[in-house]
Amino acid sequence: MKKTNLHKNKNIIRNILINRFAFTMLFIFIVCGVKAQVESNVFGKIYDKNSLEPLSYAEVSLNNKHTITNEEGFFLIEHVLSGKYELSINLLGYEAYVKTVIVEDKDVELNIPLTLSTQSISEVEVHENLLEHFHEEDVIVSKEITKEYLTENRENSLMQTLKKVPGLNAMSIGSGQSKPIIRGLGFNRISVVQNGVKHGGQEWGRDHGLEIDQYNINEVKIIKGAGSLLYGSDAIGGVIDIQPNTIQKVNSFSGDVNLLAETNNNLFGVSAGVQARKQKWFYGARFTYRDYADYKVPTDQINYDSYIFYLDDNNLRNTAGREVDGAFNFGVITEKYKNETSISNVNSKGGFFANAHGLEVRTSQIDYDSSNRDIDLPYYTVNHFKILNNTTINKKKHNIHVNLGYQNNYREEFSEPSAHGYMPKPSSSQERLFNKNIITANFDDHIKFDKHELTIGLSNEFQQNKIGGWGFLIPEYQRYTVGAFAYDKYKLTKKLYFLAGLRYDYGILHTEEYNDWFSTPVENSLGVTEDVFEQRSVDKVYQFNNYSGSIGIGYTKKTMDYKLNISKSFRMPLANELAADGVNYHMFRFEKGNSELDAEQAFQLDVEIRHEQERFNFILSPFITYFTNYIYLNPTSNFYESLQVFEYTQRKVLRAGGEVSLGIEVFKNMHFTNSFEYVLSRQLNGDKKGFTIPFSPPLSNVFTLDYTINTKGVVSNPKFIIDYRITAKQNDVVPPEEYTDGYQLVNFSFLVGIDVFKKKPPLELRFKINNLLNTKYYDHTSYYRLVDVPEPGINFSTSMTIKF
Amino acid sequence: MMKNQFKYAILLLLSSLVFISSCSEDDKDEEKPTITVDYTDGFPQACQELQRGSTYTFKASTSDNLGLASYSIDIHNNFDHHTHDDQEEVCEMSPDKDAINPFIYLDNFSISESPTDYELSEDITIPTDIDTGDYHCSISIIDVTGWQSQTTIDIKIID
Repeated sequence: MKKTNLHKNKNIIRNILINRFAFTMLFIFIVCGVKAQVESNVFGKIYDKNSLEPLSYAEVSLNNKHTITNEEGFFLIEHVLSGKYELSINLLGYEAYVKTVIVEDKDVELNIPLTLSTQSISEVEVHENLLEHFHEEDVIVSKEITKEYLTENRENSLMQTLKKVPGLNAMSIGSGQSKPIIRGLGFNRISVVQNGVKHGGQEWGRDHGLEIDQYNINEVKIIKGAGSLLYGSDAIGGVIDIQPNTIQKVNSFSGDVNLLAETNNNLFGVSAGVQARKQKWFYGARFTYRDYADYKVPTDQINYDSYIFYLDDNNLRNTAGREVDGAFNFGVITEKYKNETSISNVNSKGGFFANAHGLEVRTSQIDYDSSNRDIDLPYYTVNHFKILNNTTINKKKHNIHVNLGYQNNYREEFSEPSAHGYMPKPSSSQERLFNKNIITANFDDHIKFDKHELTIGLSNEFQQNKIGGWGFLIPEYQRYTVGAFAYDKYKLTKKLYFLAGLRYDYGILHTEEYNDWFSTPVENSLGVTEDVFEQRSVDKVYQFNNYSGSIGIGYTKKTMDYKLNISKSFRMPLANELAADGVNYHMFRFEKGNSELDAEQAFQLDVEIRHEQERFNFILSPFITYFTNYIYLNPTSNFYESLQVFEYTQRKVLRAGGEVSLGIEVFKNMHFTNSFEYVLSRQLNGDKKGFTIPFSPPLSNVFTLDYTINTKGVVSNPKFIIDYRITAKQNDVVPPEEYTDGYQLVNFSFLVGIDVFKKKPPLELRFKINNLLNTKYYDHTSYYRLVDVPEPGINFSTSMTIKF
Repeated sequence: MMKNQFKYAILLLLSSLVFISSCSEDDKDEEKPTITVDYTDGFPQACQELQRGSTYTFKASTSDNLGLASYSIDIHNNFDHHTHDDQEEVCEMSPDKDAINPFIYLDNFSISESPTDYELSEDITIPTDIDTGDYHCSISIIDVTGWQSQTTIDIKIID
């Protein structure tokens, strides 16, 4: 059917070619005279692998020659001298195609099928380190995490799922919330980006978790280290870049339902999603619900600061929670254009360990032990609403992105009101309210010409933070930042490439005034004691500007891949770092901001050495970072009233470390991987000279062994995974941190497909045992570490995924 | 050519790691100060009763490996029995009640010349017009490095 058409087209093209060829030859003989080298043409047809439909507007590149396929899917590249070329074909929604083409004084015809990106991903064999793409041209050291990795390693929150990736740690808040730590840096030093828009919550807060539904994520790109060039302020320590959803097949409808049950915190979870695409239009929707009870720790008492709390049946009182998430996305896709709108809402509520919340030891009249599922005071509620609109335009050599976003983060924290210091007992239990609105508008254009790939971009972000409740931590503020950047990837030879980029950012921050709602007796200059509503934050405008940049080099040789990158990153100080002046009831200390702080700056040297073979791979990624002014909350030797004063200061800090990962195919279907991480930090000046910085993750190593049995029939491809984590003792601490003992931990998973329905994807079952030996251990970076609460004990989890 | 440069980069990274770990391990103060009222002269003792209108000398013994910098005394009501103290003895509590005019004492003092052993001593007068009942007395000490230690004592203010 298609064949006649193909023949006809081929003949037309041949005729054109013959004419052109004759003309070209004539031209060459006349003009060049002496140059008798023969030129050839490279032509062919690009079509969809499955439907065999021709694909128009596909970008075809032969080294530095570019063209686009016509309505019939044909392309033609003329005047090609003999030699070895790299042919690449790119089309939105399809896997990029790269092939080496040898041209020898005659025309080359190539008919190339392209694979839809969704299909190819599911066909990729997944093994932790083996799965990594060999993205040689990317000089910035990054790691891609696929949907399959997320599914196989799924834990109760996104960062816990990614914890096995070397260099990544989770700051867990109970069993259902966590925030990212990359190479020991967290909070506002890590940017979480979704569809090109920075996610915005109360990142500076220790009890803030990421408000993102991890079931609604397909692929994550992780940048360990400085990412300011591309991502702006806050990406000084790294980036968790959640990639846009993959595009579905034409005229398709699919979906999945995932059910999850866990024993440790009696969790029940369900997540259901659908995706569909007509020709141009597509949509998707997902709903996730999780409800969990108090989690169990392998101890019956918690000893904290010479107090002892006895636990009822190992339950860590009042750590239950629930989460309801909904998301809807729709859009239109054509050959040259894609526009997608995603609307999502994440709503969660969770309790805090009742006995030692905010480091204050309290007894309460609340009967916490009457139920494990109820959420009593203290607890938090958070609602994160997000609308994103992403546009991609492919136009000849341009690839333009416009990413727009609106986010509202509404967070409340409630606790039993109690008097403290001169503060009388508040009338409400609402300790804190944060209402943050963020508007983002980002633009970038990737331009390909010759051996260059130039990217220019502009990013804008406006934040507004409102506060409420009787506790003061951070003032109300408005912040606007704008950044412009340009970077160029230059491919010198096939093996050698460079990257250089520069960025300029400007930011303006306005902090609002805040006075205590209660009065404090203060002695004035005349020696008379007056009752004063003390001022905690002043009405002030701060301005910052900064240059950041990056220079990198990459070199590929056979199975080896080398990258070296030097970059300068920055971070704008936060409102609390500049303007806080009050009691942090949460941490039971007095925190003093410093209006003299500069924008934080860091210089980083990153190296990556990668070796990839069929049965063996390793990645070595050392780094060294120098902060000219790391903003650090320094515990001083002074008191305010009766609380220790912590002051924001800037320190010179040197950090070094890295990760080693190793993957071996022991024998067919059995893989061994080893992920090692280490980081060392030193303050180089100030009164904490020689000390580390807070939350330094200890040296850690994870061994993973997996084995898959290839079977067909009802039971398909059972897979066993065993993880063995060894974490060293962390005795590199800074006041007020305590040493954390080392530990060993074993996790076990079993995954299997059950082919119940013929012609349908198999039912996916997963059984997992976390902390197999019910080890009592502490995580140095966990939220509850400071109150001496161990990590969860043994947990059996079962999940089932039905795809349709 | 490239390979060698990478080798040097790695070498540089490794040596800097060794450098920063070795050059800075010197005399880092990792010891917290100690504080106690559990000795003959210590005041107040667990479950001590203090009379309104009287003046008492609060005393605690403190020590540190490097030097003591400042201390604070905090007396606040425990009418809702929100916390137990960290003393061995368990005191008999009065019934729960609401605060009307509770006694609040918050003050801090610096210690000169950073001694390693210090007995803090502070005269505090209990006002006559404040609520009687269960109170907490917390005494905190901070050393020159910024390490803090604290002790809390259950006391009772009586008529």
